[in-house]
Amino acid sequence: MLELGLIVRALLRHKMAALIIALQIALTLTVLVNAVFMIQDRQASMARDTGVNETDTFYLTSRVFAPGYDYQSEIPKDLDLLRHTPGIIDAVYINSVPLSGYGGYQRLQLQPGKDQSSIIAGDYLSDDHLLNTLELELIAGENFQPEDVLIQDSNSAQLPAKIIVSRAMAAQLYPDNWQRALGSTVYVDENVPLKITGIVKTLQGAWHFWDQVEATIITPVISLTDAGIYLIRTEPGRRDELMPEVEALLAHSNKNRIIRSVTTLQDTRDESYREHNATNKILLLVVVTLVLVTAFGIVGLATFGINRRTRQIGTRRALGATKGQIMRYFMVENSLITLAGIALGAIGAVALNIYLVETFAMTPVTPDLIVYGAIAVFVLGQLAVLYPARKAALISPATATRMV
Amino acid sequence: MFFYYLRLARISILRHWGLSLLMVTAIALGIGAAMTTVTVNYLMSADPIPSKSHALHTIQLDNWDESNPFKEGLEPPPFLTYRDAKNLLSAKKAQRQTMHTAAKAVIEPLAEEDLPLYVTVRANTADFFTMFETPFVYGGPWQKEVDDNNDLVVVLSEKINERLFAGENSVGKSIKINGDLYKVVGVLANWQPKPRFYHVDKVKAFDDSEDIFLPFTAITRKKINFDDNSYCWGPTTDNWQDYLNSECAWVHFWVEFNSPAEKQQYRDFLNGYVEEQRLYGRFKRPNDNRINTLEQWFKAREVINKDNNMLMAMAFLFLGVCLLNTVGLLLAKFLGKSPEIGLRQALGASKSTLFYQYMVESACIGVMGGLLGLLFTYLGLAGIEVLYGEKMKALVTLDAQLVIFAILLSVAATVIAGLYPTWRACNVAPANQLKSQ
Amino acid sequence: MLSMNNLCKVFQSADIQTHALREVNLSVNEGDFLSVTGPSGSGKTTFLNIAGLLENHSSGEFLLDGENVGALKDSARSRLRNQKIGFIFQGFNLIPDLNLYDNVDVPLRYRGFNARERKQRIHSQLERVGLASRMKHLPAQLSGGQQQRVAIARALATDPRFLLADEPTGNLDSEMAQGVMSLLEEINQQGTTIIMVTHDTELAQRASRSIQIKDGRVSEVPPLMKRVIA
Repeated sequence: MLELGLIVRALLRHKMAALIIALQIALTLTVLVNAVFMIQDRQASMARDTGVNETDTFYLTSRVFAPGYDYQSEIPKDLDLLRHTPGIIDAVYINSVPLSGYGGYQRLQLQPGKDQSSIIAGDYLSDDHLLNTLELELIAGENFQPEDVLIQDSNSAQLPAKIIVSRAMAAQLYPDNWQRALGSTVYVDENVPLKITGIVKTLQGAWHFWDQVEATIITPVISLTDAGIYLIRTEPGRRDELMPEVEALLAHSNKNRIIRSVTTLQDTRDESYREHNATNKILLLVVVTLVLVTAFGIVGLATFGINRRTRQIGTRRALGATKGQIMRYFMVENSLITLAGIALGAIGAVALNIYLVETFAMTPVTPDLIVYGAIAVFVLGQLAVLYPARKAALISPATATRMV
Repeated sequence: MFFYYLRLARISILRHWGLSLLMVTAIALGIGAAMTTVTVNYLMSADPIPSKSHALHTIQLDNWDESNPFKEGLEPPPFLTYRDAKNLLSAKKAQRQTMHTAAKAVIEPLAEEDLPLYVTVRANTADFFTMFETPFVYGGPWQKEVDDNNDLVVVLSEKINERLFAGENSVGKSIKINGDLYKVVGVLANWQPKPRFYHVDKVKAFDDSEDIFLPFTAITRKKINFDDNSYCWGPTTDNWQDYLNSECAWVHFWVEFNSPAEKQQYRDFLNGYVEEQRLYGRFKRPNDNRINTLEQWFKAREVINKDNNMLMAMAFLFLGVCLLNTVGLLLAKFLGKSPEIGLRQALGASKSTLFYQYMVESACIGVMGGLLGLLFTYLGLAGIEVLYGEKMKALVTLDAQLVIFAILLSVAATVIAGLYPTWRACNVAPANQLKSQ
Repeated sequence: MLSMNNLCKVFQSADIQTHALREVNLSVNEGDFLSVTGPSGSGKTTFLNIAGLLENHSSGEFLLDGENVGALKDSARSRLRNQKIGFIFQGFNLIPDLNLYDNVDVPLRYRGFNARERKQRIHSQLERVGLASRMKHLPAQLSGGQQQRVAIARALATDPRFLLADEPTGNLDSEMAQGVMSLLEEINQQGTTIIMVTHDTELAQRASRSIQIKDGRVSEVPPLMKRVIA
């Protein structure tokens, strides 16, 4: 194209102006790619399945204050009351709620003895109703039997004979074939054996930011404490209506405690991912404004450049340039600058990503994202220059003679 | 001349209002984004106890499993075992020392018609109050003897005193927890250090301070249960006394030094202590005794979370884009003024005079951008409070220092952005601009 | 008061040297009305730019009131321009963003007059060119002749000893041109030295002295020849 050389030469005469736009586009691409990447990263983390029915489930804490409270009989009584309340499908007494940020963990090792490597896993202490209450999907083995469940003081170190593990945990124990976990024996506290009698598809632990969040075990123990949690699943759609009823029910059944923090699993998830959500919203806002600022910047600069060259454009028109050719001139000019910016920006994006990876321990950005980002920025540049270019094309050829 | 330049700037800005608006808005957005994140970080990293921050330190010891290090050996557990904390406390080798942990409790009604009250508890030893300079409205800290003689005493927060005793002097009165009566010895004035330096981590750094303060013996004698992170290894039994003697790390331990020499002495003491404990078959890992300053501790506990730092990095890059945008637009605008600049030179303006004139115009745009940027910062902080919730409330207020910083930042940013375009514009040869267009 | 001795101006671009002015020897006296004529590209404008201190010469000597201006820095040259020289251009060169008052105000500001003095000077100059009533108007609202009169008012506001005019009537019709020319003559009679570049021989004759520039060389046109040409 003959015009290309002309445009390049014109650009070179205004090197700095072109360089500044190119730099701006480069920085825009840098921020854009990394921001979108971070958004995706958090979205992916939030999209992980907890494995439990989050919509119909809520929980509350029963805080005992009177001395000499008979936990051994009061807790089963509470459970009986809850399980027989109309609208409630099932309920359990448990030590921790998924994603709540509060829970316990256990170290499992495949071989007994000291100095054996171990795998850490989130530990849910509950009874044989847990699978039904959380609607967990059992993919191998079987649920606990009522007689498997130990009821004991929270300081007690006694352990049951069986556990159920999540598939992710099974896969960590037996990386070649998770199914081998079923029926195998693992050890805690160096040499206490536990038999894996069931595997659930998914069950996340208490801390969403923990790298072992997917590795969980269920231990059939009712651990009696003065701050126990009742986890309750209602019939679909009846959760909100039952929450205050259940609170009142438990509060009246025994006055030596306070019923606190009646919370849905949905709220717990929202609270847990609040920071992720907030960061994503902020990043999204940054991306949108960034794109707008850059687009308007291009419009402003192009308009100015065209105003300055009004006479020149008029002369070109007088000499026979078509409207299309005038428009094309500015579109090509913009695309050259944008391409230079994209080349710089791609390097910048990778550099920033390396910095972010090193400083904030993120995963590296994928190349395809940079490609998409580059395409988006290119289209943005062309769209932004469209309006000024059209204005340039509408300059009358008579301008050449009329201007003093 | 300054006011003349101001007037010229006003005329120029108003004549090209679209362009001016674009520049001002871009700067304002960049400043708003940068200042919002700076404010949050600034308040997060504020010194919560300026008078003492150099003197206060928290101790870490590596009592962990020989073959299974805590956190891959990068860091010892953040807390001490009860027995180590107790030993260090009794040794009294520092100016002051305290151990503490978090708990929860229910204050039982003394009268039939009252309701039980759920409270957060800090269980600590006597020096806690003097070390951390907690302000008292009534009474004061309990006597040091209380830490040994098991007296049942309590210090109330202002909030709880308001609730239980209508804000009156309650020293000498009692509250009931778990069947025991605790005598009130002091009431704190509103004391909310941010970050809550004596107990910080990723999640809890900006929580409120506790409702009531009990002697640590309330925990050790199992009057109430502690409710805090505990990191354990090794065998456990179901006996509470065994737990206290176990390798579970859960006790926060803080010391106060008056001089670097004292700190060095304490380091020597800790090394000696660990050596001595090795005789009992403990501390099998290499020495990793840490005496953390507040600053080191905040960093280790990630008080300023990564998201904020990352958002700040992004915000400053965003400001960079906005400034480049301004550089480009100013360049276009000032180059468009070449004829005027040539003429002014002919009429007697020197280059430095013209430079001054156009820098005033740049600075005007900067000030307007800064002011609008403050509005955006205000909105941004309001947005952060909505997004992150109550907890951030203490961290989203602008003080005078931040306002001044915002304005200076925007003016400095625009003046820097204006430097190149102005320099370019003032370097036109006047003779070339004066021929009829 | 203005004297050029062996003054040369060479434009140096990548590989070409252009001699715009060659060995100019000229002295202009107080009260002269000097017209400069010559074909396009002969160096008229370069001559004016150098005389007006807008450009530096390459070699030779240029004395203004006995002072060698070749050695002066930018700020000193700016001060001299402001104090001694007034400019009138073919394209008027009013600042389009500023109204008439502010346009005339520009050189006064650089001179550092106080507000009262500036006001008084602006008023009297605009009155002299008959535009006092349109002080708040923008240049675009005026005709070409009116714009040039504002430019003259602006040039005279600082009481310059020299007035440099570059084709002052080039963009005006003959009636307007006559008006502007009469104004210049009146100014000259009041003692201001004028150097006027023009290609209009008729106007050139009205000056007290004429020089011609051809290929960068300056030659004085004797008064006798003037009459012959006429």
